Amino acid sequence: MTIESLVENMFELDNPINELNRLLVKYDLTPNQAKVYLYLSKMGIKTASDVSKALKIPRTETYHLLSTLQQKGIIFSVFGKPTKFNAVGIDETVVILINNEQKRINELETGKEGIIKLWEMIPKYSENKNKSAENKFQTLQGRNSILVKLEQMIKESSENILVLGTDLDFKKFYHTDFTILLKKIKSDLKILSDYSNKGIHIFEDVPSKKIKKLDDKNREDFCFIIKDDSEVIFFVSKSESKDMMALWTDSKTFVITLRSLFSLLWKKAHHVDETNAESLLGSEITFEHRLREIEQEKIILNYLQKNFKLAENNGVKK
Amino acid sequence: MSKNSTIKNSKINSNHLNVLIIDDNEQITKMLTTFLELKNHNCIVSNDGKQGLALIQKNKHDVVLLDLAMPEFDGYSVIQALENKDQLKNNKIIVFTASTITQDELDELVNRGVTSYILKPIDIDLLLSKIIESATS
Repeated sequence: MTIESLVENMFELDNPINELNRLLVKYDLTPNQAKVYLYLSKMGIKTASDVSKALKIPRTETYHLLSTLQQKGIIFSVFGKPTKFNAVGIDETVVILINNEQKRINELETGKEGIIKLWEMIPKYSENKNKSAENKFQTLQGRNSILVKLEQMIKESSENILVLGTDLDFKKFYHTDFTILLKKIKSDLKILSDYSNKGIHIFEDVPSKKIKKLDDKNREDFCFIIKDDSEVIFFVSKSESKDMMALWTDSKTFVITLRSLFSLLWKKAHHVDETNAESLLGSEITFEHRLREIEQEKIILNYLQKNFKLAENNGVKK
Repeated sequence: MSKNSTIKNSKINSNHLNVLIIDDNEQITKMLTTFLELKNHNCIVSNDGKQGLALIQKNKHDVVLLDLAMPEFDGYSVIQALENKDQLKNNKIIVFTASTITQDELDELVNRGVTSYILKPIDIDLLLSKIIESATS
């Protein structure tokens, strides 16, 4: 097999390198940057001309790509004439790319105040100073945009977060900030899901008293998350499909409707750990709980009866 | 002499507290209100957690008796909502519960800012002294 055919095969659809290429794009590399990196990492030291020919990328663009990858720190040049290039190992590359992204986010965060200050310096041109009272609807396309909105909702929540959906619906958020934030959430959390004690579950780190099991008949295709009874994200496409899509709204009607549905299902559903229910569920009414309440009623009633009788007797005597 | 005046004179407490009772058990709230009013205290009642929370946030009460087990929005949610808005320590909240709850869980609630707790059933005089003690603490 010649090197040329090897390179051609490298980027064929069924080659895992294609999947790798797709993944690297998520780490802020363009498809061609990823291609050049992968080529160098598999083929070893090459000149710019070799890269250009093998990957059929115009020479000027190839120089530009190599320069950018060098700046990112995932390829390096080998001194000589002509200059040759080689790739950093994949482990190190992933770490470098993550660090680069983190650095960029940190820079964005530190620049936030400056942006707001500048924004406030610009006078308002709109007459209407009041915030719009209209219902807002936002279509969220793709996992990332949904995830960003979900995380924002959880972080900002002060009263409650209600989650309804199957494990399958949320599996795409496994090991993301969404699940981490749910675990740390300060507001009241209620999850209705097809939780099973067997196997790995996306909500496994959430205390079981916050989760109720969704009945099989209710495990149809609906999945939503409500924040503080004021905002909701409603998933409008199946989680198995590649493009996740969701609708976010603060429409009171929409939120109340879904809130009522959630309350109804929550009331009917059972906690995931029924055997240990009494100790786990602070808010569950158990038989013993009811007995204590009755006993308390009796104590107050006895007192009142005694006092009223005393009052009556005093009245008769007078 | 009317019944009421006789009762009022039978044992008068010098304190006059504004007590908010949040408990979904209507029997208890009705009887407790009668009892506390006999003792010259003023009672406001909510049989719903969410409404109770709104009352806490709207008006100042000397003490709040808060049940934990309530449907929909329970006592824990009320505590959480107050805590999230840094309002828990500004209110005298007494957890008043019949739930099975461990000492550690009770201690945790107190650490978070709940004033004290009363486990149902409790003797009526003890209940009153706890309410006064918490209100004046």
